[in-house]
Amino acid sequence: MITRALAHRRGALLLFGVAALIPVFVRDAYFLDSLVLILLWGALSAAWNVAGGYAGQVSIGHAAFFGIGAYSAALLGTRFQQSPWLGMLVGVALSLVAGGAIGYLSNRLKGPYFALSTIAFSQVLLIVASRWRAFTSGSEGIPVPFRPGFASLGLGHVAWVYLALAVAVLYWGVQVWLEHSRFGYRLAGVREDEDAAQALGIPARRLKVIAVMTSAALTSVCGTLWAQYIGFVDPFYVFSVDLSVRFALNAIIGGMGTALGPFLGSILITSLETYLRATLSGVQSGFTGIYLIVYGTVLILVVRFFPDGLAGLAARLRARWARAHA
Amino acid sequence: MSAPAPLLTLEAVTKRFGGLTAVREVSLQVQPGDLLGIIGPNGAGKTTLFHMISGYYPPDEGRVTFDGRDITGQPAHAVSRLGLTRTFQIVKPFGNLSVLDNVMIGALTRRSSTRAARTDAERVIDICDLGRHAAARARALPLALRKRLEVARALATQPRLLLLDEVMAGLNPTELIAMVALIRRLHANGLTLIVIEHIMAAMMRLAQRIVMLHHGEKIAEGTPREITSDRRVIDAYLGEEFVLADA
Repeated sequence: MITRALAHRRGALLLFGVAALIPVFVRDAYFLDSLVLILLWGALSAAWNVAGGYAGQVSIGHAAFFGIGAYSAALLGTRFQQSPWLGMLVGVALSLVAGGAIGYLSNRLKGPYFALSTIAFSQVLLIVASRWRAFTSGSEGIPVPFRPGFASLGLGHVAWVYLALAVAVLYWGVQVWLEHSRFGYRLAGVREDEDAAQALGIPARRLKVIAVMTSAALTSVCGTLWAQYIGFVDPFYVFSVDLSVRFALNAIIGGMGTALGPFLGSILITSLETYLRATLSGVQSGFTGIYLIVYGTVLILVVRFFPDGLAGLAARLRARWARAHA
Repeated sequence: MSAPAPLLTLEAVTKRFGGLTAVREVSLQVQPGDLLGIIGPNGAGKTTLFHMISGYYPPDEGRVTFDGRDITGQPAHAVSRLGLTRTFQIVKPFGNLSVLDNVMIGALTRRSSTRAARTDAERVIDICDLGRHAAARARALPLALRKRLEVARALATQPRLLLLDEVMAGLNPTELIAMVALIRRLHANGLTLIVIEHIMAAMMRLAQRIVMLHHGEKIAEGTPREITSDRRVIDAYLGEEFVLADA
């Protein structure tokens, strides 16, 4: 475990180091925008990974917490003129409650049944957000006004890069902690075999709920940031199953239960998607969904040939290199 | 036979699954330092009894007392924390983790730092003679080693009473001898054990006392010698050949 984490640390150093240097040399808004999204989507997958990868609680409803974070800040900002930072805190509080509730209620559910219950939960929130016109503006969504300044999260591209980078590194650190701490070891036991974990004195259910709550809170923070960055909250997007699947797939493609995996997955998928969108946007609308086909193809290839994801592939290549040079 | 403070007491514990009574009014006592064997044909209720002792099934009736404390219906993790740990007949290794990590997770029940837990785990791995496999993925181990890992992981929680559920089943004669030796060593070091086993030859050499279950009921209890000459045990379980072979 130690050597694996150290190897990751070098990879992480390189990855986050490059991300930190890019704004120094590159001023192209389009490129910086992609970088912010790569970091944010990576952080979101890392948040998902805390429950899905480290605790084995594979959720396809994490958009629920993303949406809670997005809506909390947008509603507090537009209806009560509050700072999005306060909205972020409110979102975290609500997500902790929601994550605790869903974690507790679906505690006995395993595998696909847990995943289904999380989908149902996010769909309930979608219906509430899109129908409760008086409060959420319903399906019209909420435009988030741009007010310059750090307190209102009205930032330029460079500032956004560093904010997203800070969040990404923090989430990466949470995962590394999970690989080395008592809590993380015991959580791995719960993930591998719940009955055996209990026989060893581990309160399996409690650990799972804590993992889901943590994952929910981290997701919610990114939901708030994303809404402030993009400037618009659409219920059909922020609570969508598509979004939940994206969190999960980035982590699966990058390597579930690895600290760097979600970021590797995000780099691959986000850049691929951005590139395809850009090159195909001029073509007829028949092609607009083509990135989904690419997405699916990449997923099939990864699951078939690198079942432990890009992080696993990197580890294998490194081992081969070490053998060849031994 | 009855010392003042038994470590474990079962009082008429019963478990029903619908119309089937898996365990019916079984009572027994385990003194500190005992090595109690439980035998019985398949479906006799041996594993169900373990499930009730270790907190996986609450008994429908009766009471389980561990070290003077009523643990009836307590969850498994709480029972384990009190010092009563079990292994599983169908081994449940943490398959994607190394042997060392597996045992460390057991040790972390008593340790707050991973460093101390690693030291504990290494010691237990040595005791169980798993040192050469410490870095191997648990999933990749052959059955004999996975059985030993099951014991090692449970030992790492520093139990005062260890329940072993058929840790010898499926082992070849050499592996069997090693496992018997390991259990003897643990017992000699003061650990109290309850052992479920089908292999009578091993049980005869190990257990001080044997309880025989049949159709969920305790039909006999005694020293190995008493048990093997008990008519009901011979009829229900051993068969005439065993008696002849033993004589």
